[in-house]
Amino acid sequence: MSIKIRYLAPIEAAITQIEIWWRSGWGQDFVDRHLSPRSFALLLLQKDPNLWEQLPGNRQQDLEQLIATTQAQISRPISLEIAQARQEFAQAIEQTTLAEPNPNQRHWGEKIHKLTVNPISGFPILVLVLYWGVYKFVGEFGAGELVDRIETFFEEQINPVVNHVTEQAIPWPSLQDLFAHEYGIITLGIRYATAIVLPVVATYFLMFSLLEDSGYLPRLSLMLDRLFKAIGLSGRAVIPIVLGLGCDTMATIVTRTLETKRERLIATFLLSLAIPCAAQWGVILGLLAQRPAALVTWAGLIVGIFLLAGFCIDKFLPGSAAQFYIELPPLRLPKIRNVITKTWVRMKWYFWEVLPLFIWASAIIWVGRLTGVFDWLISGIEPIALALGLPKETAPILLYGFFRRDYGAAGLFDLQQGGQLTGDQLLISAVVLTLFLPCIAQLQMIIKERGVKTAVLMVSFIFPFALAVGYVLNWGLNLFQISL
Amino acid sequence: MNDLSTIRSSDPHWIVHLETQDDAMLRKLTALGILPGNQIAIEQRFPSYIVTIGRTRAALDRETVQCIFVTREQRTDANSNSDSAMP
Amino acid sequence: MDCHQCHQNHGSCGSKRSLRWLPFSENLTRPPIEPGGPQIALVGMPNVGKSVLFHALTDTYVTVSNYPGTTVEVTRGAVTLGDRAVSVIDTPGMYSLLPISEEERVARDLLISESFGAIVHVLDAKNLGRMLSLTAQLLEAELPVIVAVNMMDEAQRWGLTIDREALVAKLGVPVVLMAAARNRGVDQLREALADRLASTSVPAVAAVG
Repeated sequence: MSIKIRYLAPIEAAITQIEIWWRSGWGQDFVDRHLSPRSFALLLLQKDPNLWEQLPGNRQQDLEQLIATTQAQISRPISLEIAQARQEFAQAIEQTTLAEPNPNQRHWGEKIHKLTVNPISGFPILVLVLYWGVYKFVGEFGAGELVDRIETFFEEQINPVVNHVTEQAIPWPSLQDLFAHEYGIITLGIRYATAIVLPVVATYFLMFSLLEDSGYLPRLSLMLDRLFKAIGLSGRAVIPIVLGLGCDTMATIVTRTLETKRERLIATFLLSLAIPCAAQWGVILGLLAQRPAALVTWAGLIVGIFLLAGFCIDKFLPGSAAQFYIELPPLRLPKIRNVITKTWVRMKWYFWEVLPLFIWASAIIWVGRLTGVFDWLISGIEPIALALGLPKETAPILLYGFFRRDYGAAGLFDLQQGGQLTGDQLLISAVVLTLFLPCIAQLQMIIKERGVKTAVLMVSFIFPFALAVGYVLNWGLNLFQISL
Repeated sequence: MNDLSTIRSSDPHWIVHLETQDDAMLRKLTALGILPGNQIAIEQRFPSYIVTIGRTRAALDRETVQCIFVTREQRTDANSNSDSAMP
Repeated sequence: MDCHQCHQNHGSCGSKRSLRWLPFSENLTRPPIEPGGPQIALVGMPNVGKSVLFHALTDTYVTVSNYPGTTVEVTRGAVTLGDRAVSVIDTPGMYSLLPISEEERVARDLLISESFGAIVHVLDAKNLGRMLSLTAQLLEAELPVIVAVNMMDEAQRWGLTIDREALVAKLGVPVVLMAAARNRGVDQLREALADRLASTSVPAVAAVG
């Protein structure tokens, strides 16, 4: 290659030394790597952990020695000197190739940028974006309008056909139940996945892609950084948390973009405790829509628990809040085609991820019911439901809620349609289900990302905590004789 | 030489020094163009700091801003090549 | 998401998770990817329009898989260059060759452990100076770099001009000025890729698996 950056003399000497080592045999272990000796030397001088761990112990010692003597000859950290030399090289090229004939040419995006980050106009804009984008579009349109239409279509057009065909094709009623009727794979599993989950995540991903492509997301982060610091997170965590309002499983994956282990842990915990996914809050919104007082109480309780839990875990966990630094790309009009492609790819990913889980959940429910295990479990849960002031019909929902949180919420929806719950009972079950154990997919993701020990710890806190909150809530409502 | 959080004006200042032992952070700041010899200007202080480095704009928290040391005038020793080599 | 064998298959296991029921019509005349043929990688810092460029290059044939042992997603597709289809990989955003985050580690590992006929370094025209330091590192590693200076539309709006010839002279590698979001310069990039692959004398590495 024609270019060569000259580093400080002591660094160049060290590079030469490593290149000699490379030729004398070190390179043997790295023949499958597409790296030049010079590049290899520079990475090792900066203690690249992956290359480092592949070196035998004695070579590590040689290198340690070389780095120490090199560092002793320069006053600033080696990696900073290297970065600086590269930056000077890059800027020298920019100076000869990039011209700015009309500086200070302002773009409309600049004015809007100022409005979105100025505290006086920025916070109202933030509230408006969340209100229209998330509440109105995803909540009312996606989770309300669309879910209604597709549900009705399923119940009127598909389920009767499926039930009929299954009854004709399969003579044994117990096997019929696997595919059709109340808990069948098609009539329940696929119906929930397409009628309840799909419209909600589709509208949610569309909104998220729009926010992402317009460049608004990092601005959302900077506006909320101070608030998030109070709960042990940084503004960067806005992205997984807001994403969690779409799908907690996906949000748990995204926590890996957070900088510190501590922050990833706190975000994972808060996601599984107090961030309802779109399918869940969509259904809850529908459930409580006619009872504004219950809706406000639910939202207040969940927000309160989110903040309080974050505040406590921040105090309790060792370490300090992560630092926050984020690039602010210029605001731009999103390209519709890109937004649609992105939404499409995400939806497709999500749907294939979720569909098998719904099918499995239906199949497990079928086995559980057939073998009587579920009846036994449900009879165990019934006293708990009664203690929370709920009718015993909610016991199966609490159980099914374990398979997917939104699955449980959707079951609650069916119960409410039948007019079987009072306002208080709706509120209590909504709160318990929101706080309840994460859905099985999210649990798997927590285990994968944070390890079994952390997952067990979280679960064994969340489970009793959700029930305890439900119990206290019921007690409080009774005490003050409030009916919502 | 003052840390950036004490600077009241919005004029560009020269970065002299980054006070951090955290390698990851050093590299992130470098990637944003925040390194000795470059100019940085503060645009806003609340709810987060917003700075510009050339045509790059970034949001930083107070702790990060406090580890960036700047001067009003360009100092010759901000240039890495003049760092005296110790024997 | 556990399509780990994709790692070796150079995108050929797309049949399972390709966008088969995409509403847009799929190009059925697209030639098949040559097994063991050259691969192309897109690399660059976050926020440079890398994935937009990826979708502009690859049309509808896209597979998403997890990088082995991680939950970091790597997107693979195929780009048609004249009469051949070449596998192209969109790597996670990275700031330098020395990784800090898991995503950067995946991007770096991909770059240095797989064999590429061309590596497209996508950068943001407005922040040329800041991003060329990654170009420098890729060149130091002696990788087959093509520089794609993206977001030229925004740079022009900001009143910036870039001297492509001078950049080619300074870097010694092909440079394409483009605005992927407006589909500008994508064909020039295709040409540059075809030229680069045609001139690569290194025989294609035999396919694994």
